[in-house]
Amino acid sequence: MSDRQILLLCLVPALLLLALTQFYPLAQSFYVSLHDWTLARSPVMGEFVGAQNYSRVLHDRQFTGALWFTLGLAAGSSILSVLLGFGLALLTVGENWKLRLSRTLLLLPMIIAPVAVGTVWRMMLAARIGPVNEALGALGLGTPNWLGSPGLAQVTLTVIDAWQWTPFSMIVMAAALASIPPDILAAARMDGAGRGLILRRIIVPITLPIILLVAMFRMVDALMTLDIVFTTTGGGPGFATHTLGYWIYVQGLRYFNISQAAAASWLLLALCMATAAAFLLWRRRIMSWQVRQ
Amino acid sequence: MIRRLAIILALAVALGPFVVLMVNSVRPSDAFLAPGAGFIPGTITLDHYRAVFGGDGETLRFLANSVIIATATTLLALLLGAPAAYALARARLPFRLSIVFALAFLIVRFYPKITVALPYYLIMRDLGWLDTHLAVILAHVSVTVPFVVWLMLGFLEELPPEIEQSAMMDGCNAWGRFVRVVLPLSMPALGAAAVLTAFTSWNEFLLASTVASNDAKTLPVRISSFITDKGILWGNMAAMGTVIVLPVALFAFATQRYLVRGLTVGAVKG
Repeated sequence: MSDRQILLLCLVPALLLLALTQFYPLAQSFYVSLHDWTLARSPVMGEFVGAQNYSRVLHDRQFTGALWFTLGLAAGSSILSVLLGFGLALLTVGENWKLRLSRTLLLLPMIIAPVAVGTVWRMMLAARIGPVNEALGALGLGTPNWLGSPGLAQVTLTVIDAWQWTPFSMIVMAAALASIPPDILAAARMDGAGRGLILRRIIVPITLPIILLVAMFRMVDALMTLDIVFTTTGGGPGFATHTLGYWIYVQGLRYFNISQAAAASWLLLALCMATAAAFLLWRRRIMSWQVRQ
Repeated sequence: MIRRLAIILALAVALGPFVVLMVNSVRPSDAFLAPGAGFIPGTITLDHYRAVFGGDGETLRFLANSVIIATATTLLALLLGAPAAYALARARLPFRLSIVFALAFLIVRFYPKITVALPYYLIMRDLGWLDTHLAVILAHVSVTVPFVVWLMLGFLEELPPEIEQSAMMDGCNAWGRFVRVVLPLSMPALGAAAVLTAFTSWNEFLLASTVASNDAKTLPVRISSFITDKGILWGNMAAMGTVIVLPVALFAFATQRYLVRGLTVGAVKG
């Protein structure tokens, strides 16, 4: 066998698996989204209906409600986690063992199952047994119903998501900060530049491409948020905390309203792809602008 | 000084909830609702663990499922992913096919898995594989292989090709060079990929809950069903949460070097 044949044989199994378990289902779901199919009524797919499922989904108030909540959650959570992550990376920059240990411990939220994170926070914020309200009550600050009132539950979920993923931006930014040549910073300090000036004129511009990359990953991932909803609010109160992913899950796997769920999931897919593309274009423009400077 | 305080505050915010979880898992049930019970329970009980693990032994079975599925996923993802990455790094394919294939792996990271979950459920139903370990493992491998490929690809591109040349002189073919020269050098990248893959599988909820209703159920799927009931058994939930969280936390600590590398490489490479 020639080397090329061997290498192709190395590549084929992984590609085949991906084709069968990812790309074929992806195409299948697009196909289903163009047909009429409720699994509860019939085990086989109904007739071709074109874009009808899409227009029905887009006119569904629950879906549009979920869309707005998901956009708000994604924007809020990514801005929070990027800012906090950058701050934590700056705080823990350095190589002594205490700082390294701190960085490792700070990673914990992101390596835990999101369903477990939901459970943990449900416990923290519970109306009567939760330590958060116990502490607030003891201080006489009132005991808000964090997950029980619609508007507040939306904010709470956004903050929980940011809490879980701040470590992601911290760890990536920490790597970015560590790659800044130390003599640049030393030279700036020699010239009498203060901390704020160094941050604004050196650190942020150098790490900007990575900040944007982190923001992109955070934004796309947050648009897909699903797991934490199950163990915090179950989508409630009412439909207030239905994310798009959760709405699709319930429609498809609980009510077996397959074709509409498929249509909605393709809308979400388009949203994720468009977001990723927009961030990458923006990043490229900023980078080429930086080169010209 | 301010910096130290800020770090301590951050650590408290990041770790505090887990401490609460573990403390609650040994707090007696009647101490939950007692006003002013305080954070540290007066007495400690293992009742919740007994309740979670005892009875029909279901939780033990779900724990075993999680371990089996995470292990098999990790082995399979490396077995499929590492050779694929080597092929992408070394094969000269026409029509820029290497780039096309590499992007095919990359794109899996960027769409919602819920789009795949519904048809995946139908496919597994038609194959008669619903609620089997295999169905969950295949799903988990399919979302982790792309990551293994990209992590390895980044590593292999920095590996100078000259290293393989002496082996080539000795008449080693591509597979021999991969196994004897490249793999031993790739241990750091393989380790990072293995750790991340194991975590992902252990934590994954959506695909597992789609195809596993009972026999192949994993721990994350189990914990989500604690809540749909009206009354919440806080103690049992905390015990269950601890069972999910603690192994990951300890494993993360033991493998922190690989972990950090795995987490950063994906993003910084872009």
